Parts: sequence; C-alpha cells; structure tokens
Amino acid sequence: MMSTKAFTLVSAVERELLMGDKERVNIECVECCGRNLYVGTSDCFICHFLLEEKTLPAGTATFTATKQLHRHLGFKKPVSELRAASALNRLLVLCDNSITLVNMLSLEPVPSGARIKGAMALALNENPVNGDPFCVEVCIISVKRRTIQVFMVYEDRVQIVREVSTPEQPLAVAVDGHFLCLALTTQYIILNYNTGVSQDLFPYCSEEKRPIVKRIGRQEFLLAGPGGLGMFATVAGISQRAPVHWSENVIGAAICFPYVIALDDEFITVHSMLDQQQKQTLPFKEGHILQDFEGRVIVATSKGVYILVPLPLEKQIQDLLASRRVEEALVLAKGARRNIPKEKFQVMYRRILQQAGFIQFAQLQFLEAKELFRSGQLDVRELISLYPFLLPTSSSFTRSHPPLHEYADLNQLTQGDQEKMAKCKRFLMSYLNEVRSTEVANGYKEDIDTALLKLYAEADHDSLLDLLVTENSCLLIDSAAWLEKHKKYFALGLLYHYNNQDAAAVELWVNIVNGAIHDSTRADLYEYVVDFLTYSSNQELVWKYADWVLQKSEEVGVQVFTKRPLDEQQKNSFNPDDVLTCLQKYPKALVKYLEHLVTDRGLQREEYHTHLAVLYLDEVLQHRPGASSKGAEVTETQAKLRHLLQKSDLYRVHFLMERVQRAGLPMESAILHGKLEEHEKALHILVHELKDFSAAEDYCLWRSEGRDPPYRQQLFHTLLAIYLSPGPSAPELAVAAVDLLNHHATEFDATQVLQLLPGTWSVQLLCPFLMGAMRDSIHTRRTTQVALGLAKSENLIYKYDKMKLKGSSIRLSDKKLCQVCQNPFCEPVFVRYPNGGLVHTHCATSRHTNPSSPSPGART
Amino acid sequence: MKKPDGKIVLLGDMNVGKTSLLQRYMERRFSDTVSTVGGAFYLKQWRSYNISIWDTAGREQFHGLGSMYCRGATAIILTYDVNHPQSLVELEDRFLSLTDTASTDCLFAIVGNKVDLRENGAAESQEKEGCSPGLAGAGCASPKVPKQVQLEDAVALYKKILKYKMLDEKDMPAAEQMCFETSAKSGHNVDLLFETLFDMVVPMILRQRAQGPPQTVDISNYKPPKRTKSGCCA
Ligand SMILES: Nc1nc2c(ncn2[C@@H]2O[C@H](COP(=O)(O)OP(=O)(O)OP(=O)(O)O)[C@@H](O)[C@H]2O)c(=O)[nH]1
Ligand SMILES: [Mg+2]
Repeated sequence: MMSTKAFTLVSAVERELLMGDKERVNIECVECCGRNLYVGTSDCFICHFLLEEKTLPAGTATFTATKQLHRHLGFKKPVSELRAASALNRLLVLCDNSITLVNMLSLEPVPSGARIKGAMALALNENPVNGDPFCVEVCIISVKRRTIQVFMVYEDRVQIVREVSTPEQPLAVAVDGHFLCLALTTQYIILNYNTGVSQDLFPYCSEEKRPIVKRIGRQEFLLAGPGGLGMFATVAGISQRAPVHWSENVIGAAICFPYVIALDDEFITVHSMLDQQQKQTLPFKEGHILQDFEGRVIVATSKGVYILVPLPLEKQIQDLLASRRVEEALVLAKGARRNIPKEKFQVMYRRILQQAGFIQFAQLQFLEAKELFRSGQLDVRELISLYPFLLPTSSSFTRSHPPLHEYADLNQLTQGDQEKMAKCKRFLMSYLNEVRSTEVANGYKEDIDTALLKLYAEADHDSLLDLLVTENSCLLIDSAAWLEKHKKYFALGLLYHYNNQDAAAVELWVNIVNGAIHDSTRADLYEYVVDFLTYSSNQELVWKYADWVLQKSEEVGVQVFTKRPLDEQQKNSFNPDDVLTCLQKYPKALVKYLEHLVTDRGLQREEYHTHLAVLYLDEVLQHRPGASSKGAEVTETQAKLRHLLQKSDLYRVHFLMERVQRAGLPMESAILHGKLEEHEKALHILVHELKDFSAAEDYCLWRSEGRDPPYRQQLFHTLLAIYLSPGPSAPELAVAAVDLLNHHATEFDATQVLQLLPGTWSVQLLCPFLMGAMRDSIHTRRTTQVALGLAKSENLIYKYDKMKLKGSSIRLSDKKLCQVCQNPFCEPVFVRYPNGGLVHTHCATSRHTNPSSPSPGART
Repeated sequence: MKKPDGKIVLLGDMNVGKTSLLQRYMERRFSDTVSTVGGAFYLKQWRSYNISIWDTAGREQFHGLGSMYCRGATAIILTYDVNHPQSLVELEDRFLSLTDTASTDCLFAIVGNKVDLRENGAAESQEKEGCSPGLAGAGCASPKVPKQVQLEDAVALYKKILKYKMLDEKDMPAAEQMCFETSAKSGHNVDLLFETLFDMVVPMILRQRAQGPPQTVDISNYKPPKRTKSGCCA
C-alpha cells in the first residue's frame, strides 16, 4: 500500500526533564489543555509543563516544554489518570481509586477537599446534558461491582447524579450525552443512563485483549473489535463507517480528523476514516499512551512524551497529487470541507480539482479530466497553453502560479508519442467545441475560437468551415497566418469574409480557381464565387470580377446580374444599361440578361424588347443554314422569338418586320402582321404559304383574345373567306373550311355562312356546324323570349303601383296643415308623400335643402 | 457524509462470494478478492435514494459483528455457494440469528452464488440428487463427488425463515422472487439481484419516512391527533 505522510513525530518532553536521574519512575498518564501539559508518574507526582510550538523554516513544527511545577500527591500509588476541566480551572486526578480536584496552576487540592471516592476509571462528558458551563459531567467505573456512577463536578464540590448497574463488570467507559459506551467483560454495549435502555454492540474477549472505547464525535464511538478491527458504532448501535484494520495488539486509539491513529507496541498506524485505508506507519517502540486533546495527538512511552504533528492538509493533498493518487486526494480534500472556512475551502478545492484534472489528462483519461476541469472551473487557457502555438500571440494569458501541473507542453507530456499527441488534440477539439458556447468561455472567446480553428486546420477537420461560417471570435492575424501555413486558402477566404474583407476573400478564391494556389476544399469553387458575388452588396467587387466570371462561363457568370436578391433589385442598384454595356462581349450572357429584364423583371422598355427580339432573330438566322444537327436548339430559340413577338407589345414592329421579311420567316411575318392588325395578310401567309391551318385557327384565337365577339366573328369569317376563295388549292382548302366550321361553329354567323357555302356541299358534311348553329340560334331565341317575358312583367308591376297611387282623392281644407311648416294651404297645389303626408310645394323643395327639418318620408 | 436512506447487508459463510458479488455489481468487474476483514460498505444511489450496502466478513472470527451490521437493515442477502451445501446449512445455523436486529419488515433474499462452476459437475450431481443437506456437508470433503444445492433447497430455506420470523407468507414477496442463483464471475443474475432488491427497498424507505424516526418526537410541533369516529371515547 502506498503511504501518505500525514504526521510527523516530534519529542515534547525529554526523559531528563521529567525525572532527572530517577531511573525507575514511569509516566503513567498525560493530559494536555491548551499549552498546558500535565504528566502523572508512577511515584505519585504531577508535573506541569508549558508547551511552546515553533515552526522551523522547513515547515515542520517543534515543541519545547518548560517545566512549571511538580507536586507529590501524598500517596504511594501511581497517578492513574489526569483530566483537565479548564472552565473550572481544575485538574481531576485519579490516584489510588480516588479523584481529587487540584488547581490547574498551583496544583494545590481544593480547600474544600471535595473528591470522588471509589473510582477505577473516569470519563468526561464532552457532550454534556447539563447546560451549566461551570460544571463538568464525570462518569466513573466504581469499585463497587458492576456499577457506573455519574457526577456533576463544580469548582469545589462534587455531586452524584446517577448510579447505574451493568450486566457485567465494566472495564472501560466513554460518554456522550446520556449514552454510556461500555466495554464489559464479554461485550461492548451502549447504555442510556437516563432511561436504562441498553443496546448490545458486539462481543469481544476481555481476557485476550484490552478493550478500547473512544468517543470520536457526536454520538459516535470507536471500539477495538475482534481481529484487530477498529469498529465504529453510533449510540443507536449501528455502524455508519466501515471498520479500520489494526494489528491484533493495539493498545490505544486517537482521532485527528480525518485520521484514526492507533498504537501498538511497535508502531503508530494512521488510517483514513474517509476510505478506511491505512495511510501511514510510524515505528514507535514501547509506547503505552496515545490520546488526542482537542486535535493535538500525544503519544508517550513510560519515559518520554511525544507529539504527532499533522501535516497541513493542503500539503498532504499535494503529496497525494504528486504521486498521482487523485481519488484519495479528492476524498481527503472533500473530507476537509467542514474544517476549513468556506471561502478558503472553495479556492483550495477548485485548485485541487484542476490539478487532478491535469493528472488524469496526462494519463489520457479524458472523460475524468473533463469532469474535473468542469467542476474545478478551470480557465481553459491553462489547458490550451499546453499545446504549442495554439494560444494567439496577442493573448495576455500566463499560467497560474504555483503551476497546476509539471508539464511544459504537450511534447513533454507525451514524450513525442505522435499517437498520444493526436489523442490529446482530438480531446481538446471536442472540449473546446463543447465549452465555447458556455459561460466557461466568457472573456476568452478569442483564445478558444482561435485555438479551435488552429486545431481544425491542422487536422483537416470538416468543422473548420462550420466554425468560420457561423458566429466566431477567431482572431484575424493569428488565424490567417495559421490557415496560410496549412494551405487552407478557401477557409482563409471565409475568415476574410467574416472580417468584412470580401475583396481579399474573392481574390484568394479566384486564385484557387485559376490554379495559382492549391486548395481542393471545394470542387465547385467557381460556382461558389459566382454565388458569393451574386449575394454580395459590394458593387465594386462584382464589377471587378464580372469579366472573370463571364469568361469562365457566360451562362453561369451572368447570374451575378440575373440572380441578385430581390430586395436589392428593388433598389435598382445595378443600372441595366451599365450591365448591358458590360455584356456586349458575351452574347449568351447578354441574351440571358435581357430575358431577365424582360421576363423576370417585366421592364417595359422598347429597347430591351426589341434588342432581345433582334438577338433571338440573329440566332435563329445564324443556325438556319444546314441546321439539321442543331434543329432542336434552333426551334427552341425560334419558339422564344415567336413567344416574345406574340406577347410583347413594346418592340418596334416595323423595324422587325423588315428584317423578318428579308430573312424569309413566314410565321414570324404573320405574327408581326397580326400585331399591325393586318389579318388578311397574316392569314394569307399562314394558309397559302405555310398551309398551316391549325396555326391559322390559333391566330384567330390569339388575335381575338380580349376583343368583343363581333371582332372575333369578323376574324373567323375572314379566314373562312380565304378558305372558300377560288384558287388552285381549292379542294384542300375546302376541307380546312369544313373543319373550321365544324370546330368553331359558335364563332360564325350561320346565315352569312350558309350564303357563302357552295350548294354542292352535303348537310352530312356540315352536320356538326349546323347542329351547333341551330342549337345556338334556338338558345338565343329562347333566352330572348325569357328576357321579353321578364321585362313585360316588370312593366306590369310598375303600372300597378301607379294605379294605386292615383286611386284615392285628397280633400284639402283649412284644417289640413303642411307637415313641414304647419301652415294651412292657401292654393290648391301640394306635394303628397307616399305615406300620405301633405306639404307645400315650396316646403318640399326647401326640405331637401334643409336637413334639420322633420323627415316625412321619401318623396315619390 | 450523506446519511443513507436504507441498508442492505450481505451475510454468508466465508468464501461464498459476497465481496465478489458486490464488486461485480458496483465496479462491473470480477477479480481476485481477499477474505474480508471486518466489513466494508458501498453507497449506491438508486433513483433519489442513497442505499448503503454492507459486505460482511464470513469468517468465524467476525461473527459477533453481524448483529450490529444488521441492526435496522431494510434487506438482507443471505449468500451461499451452490457447490457447497454446507454453506446453505450455515445460513440457517449461524447467520439467521444475526438478523434479529434488522428492521421488523426486513426483506430476505437467498442467493446461491458460483453457478458458473455447477455446469461442470451437473451430471454427477443428478445422480446424487435427494441426498439430505446434513449429509451433503460431509460429502463436500470429497472433491470427486461434488454435492450441489438446488434452487428448491433455497426456496425451502426461505419459507423456513418466514416461519422463524413469524411472518405470513402472504405479506412477503414470494420465495421464487427472492431466491436467486448468481455468478459473480460471469455476472449472471447479479444486476437482477441487486436491482430487484433496490426496487423493493424504495417503498419501504418511503413507508419508514412516513412513520418518521421511531424514537424522536417533535414536541415543538406537536398537535393533538384528531380523534377519529371509531375512537373508543366517541
Ligand atoms: N467461479 C467463481 N468463483 C467465484 C465466484 N464468486 C466468488 N468466487 C471466488 O471465490 C473466492 C471467494 O470470494 P469472496 O468474494 O472473497 O468471498 P466472500 O464471501 O467475500 O468471503 P469472505 O469475505 O471471507 O466472507 C474468490 O477466490 C473468488 O474469486 C463465482 O461466481 N464463480
Ligand atoms: Mg468478502
């Protein structure tokens, strides 16, 4: 078992000082109270010493004892026990079965001569039941067989308060409150002297060994058990701590928190109450007394007195940590919580946790280390600083002093083992990533993020990019140098961007795309740059790289103009004319941009529309000769051209007409004729040149869109007339005419049509048309009839109303007054309201101009 | 130190594997143990409760400590070695009386450990089945004819214990529920054993809390109990 150094043994009273040359005199008992040390001897002397403690520069304490007085008690018997009662300034002396009270300083017996007779052993109650501070409770084993007596001891008198008998002869006693802990002949018991209730603890054999009963704290005792065990027992008769393991022949025990100290004839052993482990062994021959007095532990042989000086707890803990005994150190530190002021404890404990964390860390026990760092509230920079070059050069951090660990850096810690080094780095990555968004990072965000960036960059970790595109505190100068060193140019660009240096960022990326520098992070970096510029609000930057992106790809590059965010478009920050000028060299891009202006943004400017149409036209023409291979594409452009010509009303029709006709594009010519309302020309082209009858039909529908029905009818009749006009292709056109009539029966005036049609056509042929026309005509007739009927009945209703109003006569007399002015009518002229009210004609008119007058109802 | 809410005590002859069982459960490992001196204990947090588990020493020398360890126990695990019938006999002869100090509603579990060793001798044991436990002890002296304990023997002991404690079988968990066969070496049934007990101990802790500490009466807060209608003076 590894040992701890918890105590050092120093001499307190040398043999010579005590008994001079009296060879046969032995020390029988000791008592220590503050600086007073008392020794009782075999020749019935009490000696009083004053202890003086000195701390040597090395940190160890020494004691010198100066002899004060000594007094012979007047018996031939040894002094068997001494107990100080400092509140009474009395020393209780047990000698020859009698307890005398003597003055602590003069060693004179009290004048009253008060004493307790018939005592074999005594114990002071350190947890007294009586509240009187000038009274000491003393418990004795009486010379009377199987009897315990309890006394109150005052300055100069004693008073028995209780006598209890025990089942067997008691051999040792300790007391706490009302509870006596007794070693009887064959067993230990707890006895409540107030209630008489007793509780067996466990058996032992008094013939084989001397019992030990020692109060160790409130309601708890330490007992010598079988097999050299130090057993703990509470007044309730239960054990709350596991036993400590002493040697069989232990003769004394003492407590000095958190240690249990035991004495046998060769050694002093020290066990921890916290983990029951033996911590220290000190060789000590012929010891026969071991006692603790308010935290001071004294051992004595029959010739000399020694003090066990505890090492400061912090020193013990540091020793444990130094030997990597983390668990024990923490247990010891935690155990000290009660004995150290809270503030001081927290500072100390935190530091210990941090140290322990580094020990675990050095053993690559990362989970444990992390927990310790967390609970010890470690300044993360302590950890970061272990890794060379990770802290930013600007960081003001210096390691805490004294140091938390012994390592200069990671190289030393891992002794150059690359694998260990990598593990440590991975740990730091995950640790920093975890803490960077917690309060641990407060105040050190730059240090943490910069370190993290460096780790990611070095390890080629994906999270590098995530770090840079989200909120971060990476320091620019440090990070930039590091990224450059590790050739993380794309990431460097992100860093520049984050620091509002977009120009630098784009320049870097462009260099990567151009192959001037190498970084394969993104295969689609060109598209990325285009996207970046598209969303960049920096116009200057966009202009600067416009040529570059367009040279790479016109279609993709033009997106920097066409895909700009909507809110920016509304502000119209890019002047279309500037863009168009720029795009002169890039025809494909130009088309795309014009399409964007015309279609997406719906700009109503003649130039754009005409320009776009001309560009379409050029392309159509360019691909026309021998265009069999690219047929699909040409029709696509042609379709676009036709669509534009049809839908837009803004282009210059005549200008285009000329070019289209020159180019010999009949369909386009037809559309342009349509635009000019030259339907006959248009339809003529469609029917005679192109022989595209369905296009002709579509034309009629297109041109009559949004017009009134007669216009539409007119158009269809025009087409029909062309079909029916005599000519070389008459039979073919006749079929087209039939189809037209049958498909669009409702678009025609049937009577007109019937007059136009040649008599030779069968009814069968025109059946759908005729049926449609009939149905239409009948339908029209019926709806008209219904409308007529409705109008008639409406008229009747009005007639009825009129009759009613005219039906009765009105008598005008002097008694009838105008409802408005309340004056009689002087002339036979009046106005009558539908409710029957009569008013003067002038009152009726003025009523309309005077809203405040009473309203007699609406006038008919 | 946190005061435990409940106490579980492991009892049984030396060498049956008490320390090994506890070590397997608490530290998830099986390694060499030395014969326990005195006793040791662990604190186990189960839900929000702290349960102390005491490992006692089986050696005769420490027998006297048993009563103290068992005082106020909420549950006691009586452990034997399935390959040593005598260890089962000892439970009744030597260890049962130690449990008198346990809480009056104390639970008992009977655990036959080292079942991993039983497989080897299973064939032989079947021939010898039915030999009385008294004779079995003597049989153990001969290594060639290992005698083994069957689960029924443990069940019988469990019922005997309930009789001894004058407990009604109906009020206590069924024998089948409280008799386990384990192996600290393989881990077989070890978690089941402890966690079954923990789950049973929690309601007992709650019950004890509701009753309050038995000997403390808080006079400062004393209110006369309300008379119920069935009270004698009503
Ligand atoms: N094969 C096998 N061996 C076991 C098992 N459990 C314990 N042992 C072994 O049995 C021996 C005794 O085990 P312990 O756990 O020390 O026994 P104990 O009951 O604590 O003994 P005491 O402390 O003396 O009372 C050790 O050598 C263990 O390795 C088991 O399940 N299978
Ligand atoms: Mg054990």
